[in-house]
Amino acid sequence: MVNKNSRLALKTITLCAMEPKKTGKIDHLETKNPGILQKLIAMGILPGMPITLLRRSPSYLFEVDQTRYAVDREIANHIYVSY
Amino acid sequence: MKLPVICPEKECCCGKKGCTPGEGLPKIILIGNPNVGKSSLFNALSGSYTLVSNYPGTSVEIAHGKARIGEREYEIIDTPGMYSLLPVSEEERVSQLLLFEEKPLVYLHVVDARNLRRMLSFTLQLLEAGLPLILVLNMMDEAEERRIEIDISELSQSLGIPVVGTVSSEEKGIDELKAAISEYTSRNNTQKFRQKLDYGTEIEPYIETIESLLGPAKEVGISKRAISLLLLQEDQTALEYLCKAEKKPECGREDLEKSSEEIRKLAEAASKKSEVPLSYLLTLKRQECVNGIVGQVMTMPEGTEKNSGKAGKIGTEAEKGTEKEENYTCAAQEKTKSGPAKNRAGKIEERKKQKGNIDLSEKIDNILIHPVLGIPVLFLVLYFGLYLFVGVFAAGTVVDFLENTVFGGYVNPLVTAKFMSLVPYPALQDLFVGEYGIFTQAVTYAIALILPIVGAFFLVFSIIEDTGYLPRLSLLLDGMFKKIGLSGRAVIPMVLGFGCSTMATVVTRTLETKRERIIANILLALAIPCSAQLGIILSILSGNPESLLIWSIVIILEFILIGFLASRVLPGEAPTFILEMPPLRKPKLSNILVKTYSRMHWYFLEVLPLFVLASVLIWIGKLTGLFALALKIIEYPTVWIGLPPDAADVFLFGFFRRDFGAAGLYGMHDSGLLTGVQLLVAAITLTLFMPCIAQFMMTIKERGFKTALAISGFIFPFAFFTGFIVNNLLKLLGVNL
Ligand SMILES: Nc1nc2c(ncn2[C@@H]2O[C@H](COP(=O)(O)OP(=O)(O)OP(=O)(O)O)[C@@H](O)[C@H]2O)c(=O)[nH]1
Ligand SMILES: [Mg+2]
Repeated sequence: MVNKNSRLALKTITLCAMEPKKTGKIDHLETKNPGILQKLIAMGILPGMPITLLRRSPSYLFEVDQTRYAVDREIANHIYVSY
Repeated sequence: MKLPVICPEKECCCGKKGCTPGEGLPKIILIGNPNVGKSSLFNALSGSYTLVSNYPGTSVEIAHGKARIGEREYEIIDTPGMYSLLPVSEEERVSQLLLFEEKPLVYLHVVDARNLRRMLSFTLQLLEAGLPLILVLNMMDEAEERRIEIDISELSQSLGIPVVGTVSSEEKGIDELKAAISEYTSRNNTQKFRQKLDYGTEIEPYIETIESLLGPAKEVGISKRAISLLLLQEDQTALEYLCKAEKKPECGREDLEKSSEEIRKLAEAASKKSEVPLSYLLTLKRQECVNGIVGQVMTMPEGTEKNSGKAGKIGTEAEKGTEKEENYTCAAQEKTKSGPAKNRAGKIEERKKQKGNIDLSEKIDNILIHPVLGIPVLFLVLYFGLYLFVGVFAAGTVVDFLENTVFGGYVNPLVTAKFMSLVPYPALQDLFVGEYGIFTQAVTYAIALILPIVGAFFLVFSIIEDTGYLPRLSLLLDGMFKKIGLSGRAVIPMVLGFGCSTMATVVTRTLETKRERIIANILLALAIPCSAQLGIILSILSGNPESLLIWSIVIILEFILIGFLASRVLPGEAPTFILEMPPLRKPKLSNILVKTYSRMHWYFLEVLPLFVLASVLIWIGKLTGLFALALKIIEYPTVWIGLPPDAADVFLFGFFRRDFGAAGLYGMHDSGLLTGVQLLVAAITLTLFMPCIAQFMMTIKERGFKTALAISGFIFPFAFFTGFIVNNLLKLLGVNL
């Protein structure tokens, strides 16, 4: 873990708030919409997986494990990352 | 519409309805995530061709083929990609239903080797469902490029099923796969996973209760445990399917409603207890199990290991001593461990090249999806690919040559003269070689006009598809598409619509909400011209850049306006955008050629009968006087939008197919009958017409009769209305083109 020693606790923020080119770990997913949640987990966006944000515009592009995903802001807001 | 699966040995019925090659033979069904190479594998195994492109959601329908493996023949079935047993979008549902209904010899679960960690979870679900399974690790070349190593025999051992590594696009490992299929004997592999995949004391009791409720239910293709899990996650398709399957008289409707009510209550209770949606919990449990397996069988090069902080970057000097040989063997065979050290220098060289390749594609990728640079790239693609190649070269030079020189100069006069001398009846002469004759009009238009344009378009389009540019375009345009009620995903059917609206209408299945599918359908029918029509219009208007500009602006405005209005009027939630981004890949020439050919083939078969039918109808109409009457009626709107009455037949053709109308327009333009403004107005009106009868039928099939009727009832008057407005605006402004 990157910040384990330097900080008391890990920062947990949404993917939207994350800085590009940083790598963290998916902490949890939070959404009221079961369809979105189902889609995310089926596609392999799961808590515990390492995640790297590659770009924020024109849409969010990130990498989980070996796969890249493009999502909009709405979805990026549901993904919580700790790093 | 069904694109033909081009079959070998001329056994095929060319995509006709009900064409199921290999029916009755033992079945092999390909399943797996989108874009992992199922269709490539289908093509490699069966020798038939079904579409292969580099984006998720290429296949939206089931394809059937026949394969000969060893001495035996099999029916082989390709399915649309699905992410898990619990479907989210429509094309996934198609595959899910197939799983319920079929009882094949074996399923081939195709995964992308590099993404084993993500995809193995689905394998576990399939095992849980008690399906006969072979796991195919495809794209071994890409895994290797990234120096990911997978111990295939160990994986096979821990899953208890055969595992084979392949590179289906290069037909590597296919023999091993065939051997594995031949040797496959169904064994009970569920037992093993019953112990491994225990969902814990909180959930297991619920599963058991539902299983016992399912008691009298009819046998379906998948295990009761899997069905129970689906029901527990409140999967509608599973519930409906069970209801349909259960037609026994002694188990009446009430019983059914009672048990489904009970199931619903159980599901609710279970999810309340766990506090998070059950599907989430179940997936996490499965993933735990997967992580255990993957940790044992898969090694990644240092630097991409978890938490290293630099995922995706490959360490240069991480060369290990125990490099495995290329190893596309099936589990049953001996594994060749630790390759000889003598090629090491060569290997390092190769590694460097691979790393260079990855870096280069990374750089290109960054430009394609750059918020600023991406737009000029898009315009370059449109300018060179669409305007220069399709519009100017194919629709201009080639068509001019074929239409005027080949057909106009040689073929048609020859055929006409021959026919006239052989058949002395004027009525028949008129039918075959008259002004609207089957040969002189229908066949000539189809071969000399439509085919070269459509071919050129599909060629460019195939290249674009195979590189993986389309998902990048989705990402680039998502923000703009949101304004018209669509997500970036809709970019793919929209772009496909430039090829053929009918094909694109089927592909709208990949959109997640009904609202999106309807908006996309309206826009496809209204504002996206299909390639044949577009090519002709580009070529007619290319002599006058201002006309072309006005035409583009009007069509784009219309697209935005109608999309915007539709998104306001139609109820439902705003769309969301999630898309897997496949890596950029080098297109393969063979795939591009076969794909272009297969689409042209299909298009030709689609248009020719309709063109001939139009010729015949016009002929009958002329004999009975109905043709003149129809023309008289259409003359009203024609004159109304400022065109000469003669132009009415262009629109009459347009009702059959709008590219047919465009072809008519081409004829009028050729004989110099229209002024610049008239040409422009006619082009705009015709572009906005319904595409064709086939597209209409497809809309009925996908959206229902009422919606289809409403869409066309809106489009025709609206097309003329727009023509009217443009004509009067131009007049008012005193524009002369
Ligand atoms: N490098 C590499 N590329 C492959 C391999 N197999 C398939 N591809 C490419 O991967 C892309 C997707 O292949 P498809 O066969 O269309 O995938 P699919 O699983 O049918 O996809 P959907 O129909 O969308 O579910 C194409 O561009 C193929 O050329 C492989 O083994 N290695
Ligand atoms: Mg496919």
